[in-house]
Amino acid sequence: MLNGKVNYKVPRNLLFMFELLALSLMFLYYKDTLNRTTVVYSLTLILLVYISNVLLIKITSGDNYIFLIVTMLVSIGVIMIYRIDPELGMKQILWIGFGIILFFVSYILFKSTKGWENWFLIYAMVSVVLFLLTLFLGRNIKGATNWINVGGFSFQPSEIIKILSIFLIASFYTNYDRFNKLKFGKYYLMGMIYLFVLFLFLQKDLGSVLIFLSVFIALQYVYEEDRKLVYINLFILVISAIAGYFIFSHVQSRVQTWLNPWKYIDTKGYQITQSLFAIAEGGFFGTGLGLGYPDFIPEVHTDFIFSAICEEMGVFTGIGIIMLFLILVYRGFKISINQKYKFYRIVALGISILFGIQSFIIFGGVLNMIPLTGITIPFVSYGGSSMLSSFIALGILQVASEELDFDEEQ
Amino acid sequence: MFNIISLVFKYIFIFIIYVFILSIIRLIYLDIKGIYPIAVNNSAYLKLINRKDTLPFKVKEYYSLGDEVTLGRANNNQIIIKDPYISKKHLRIVKDEGKYYLEDFNSANGTFLNGEKVMDVVCLKNGDRITVGQVEFLFVNKE
Repeated sequence: MLNGKVNYKVPRNLLFMFELLALSLMFLYYKDTLNRTTVVYSLTLILLVYISNVLLIKITSGDNYIFLIVTMLVSIGVIMIYRIDPELGMKQILWIGFGIILFFVSYILFKSTKGWENWFLIYAMVSVVLFLLTLFLGRNIKGATNWINVGGFSFQPSEIIKILSIFLIASFYTNYDRFNKLKFGKYYLMGMIYLFVLFLFLQKDLGSVLIFLSVFIALQYVYEEDRKLVYINLFILVISAIAGYFIFSHVQSRVQTWLNPWKYIDTKGYQITQSLFAIAEGGFFGTGLGLGYPDFIPEVHTDFIFSAICEEMGVFTGIGIIMLFLILVYRGFKISINQKYKFYRIVALGISILFGIQSFIIFGGVLNMIPLTGITIPFVSYGGSSMLSSFIALGILQVASEELDFDEEQ
Repeated sequence: MFNIISLVFKYIFIFIIYVFILSIIRLIYLDIKGIYPIAVNNSAYLKLINRKDTLPFKVKEYYSLGDEVTLGRANNNQIIIKDPYISKKHLRIVKDEGKYYLEDFNSANGTFLNGEKVMDVVCLKNGDRITVGQVEFLFVNKE
């Protein structure tokens, strides 16, 4: 199969087949409670994914792989969520539908408007306003105040601020010379980022702190000319990590359960030990969909979806997901290298690092390789805000993969 | 009943996921192989606009241009494209005093520059689209 000609039809059809098979298996599993809306919605989604993949090859001159990879990840995720809880699965199907539409909207918007690199102040202000809104209107869910509720619809502003902060960093380094001429110009960006981090500390959302700082330090490492600042940042990161350990009691318990989960198996180590049991139970090929017990793990549909997938679909599928992320991040880096315009190059690099670091933190967490931090796997975990913002980021990456404004450059 | 189907399906799922990953890796491999390094001092080149896999014959992603380059189906050309719609000796691109000129050798199906048929000799500028047979190139000159 792999010796002859391979074109885009092969992976696209494989994806279609996978979705159809998995869906029919799930319908069989829930055949007693199956209703017509579920069938219609899920078939529409499969069709939407297929059409989007065909359409994208027609309209874009850039990369054709990232959307394929992402739709595969999304399919694995939604099948697992539907198996754990059909109601959440239905919601997730809707989120994915919206996400794909938003992908195209952000693709068109980002491609047709220019001057994104000049709006440093706007990105900064919008982010601060969103943070302030979260602080005052925020609801406390599971220890962190990072949700706001607008008209019966709750979302996580920090997901949008992640993208905004990448734009902020990119616009700063695109206009680096201009900022450098100002007094204290090079500290503007650092000041903004540490303001964000302060807000996140106030919300007790330490997972996001980690993501923000890693993306910032990675981009700073690549583009900052004053190397001293990079070392200062690394130093601050280490200091704040140690300080965080002593200030927040839940950080201490996370580290303790990471070092020895078995000692706290019936209290704070319950979640991580159940996750390890689930992965071990699955083995290489898994128990088969619907035949395992992923419900034993608390929060299985968001943070611990990876363990559920490993249990029911096998460690091989888990490795497959990690490989898909690997290719996705690699494509992102290649897009960034090929892009001529500095702003888009930095944005592409930032988004790839964001995907990479987020998946690394949570994979490492559920496998007990690093202390657990509750964040979502982009595209796989259940969650509306995370899904939508990831698809927006992907749309931007798609634009960055094209050769832009060729005629204007002369 | 469900258990048996589920047991069978889990192997199928893993198989599909891995073939999917492999086919994408292979596409990426073909994609990377298509990139030829362009000589740094030679700043003018032709870039393929078509998708490589839509063309049934061999064509490179980039062709760098020297002082004189001929394009055609025959093997004595510098740029050889085995497209049946391209003549044996189709066109040449000559560099003269820093400018590039395209000349069509009265080919059967003609050469098109930005959609217009090339009658004699035309001067090329950065960003021009050259269509020969089924192939479309972008002329890039960074000078």
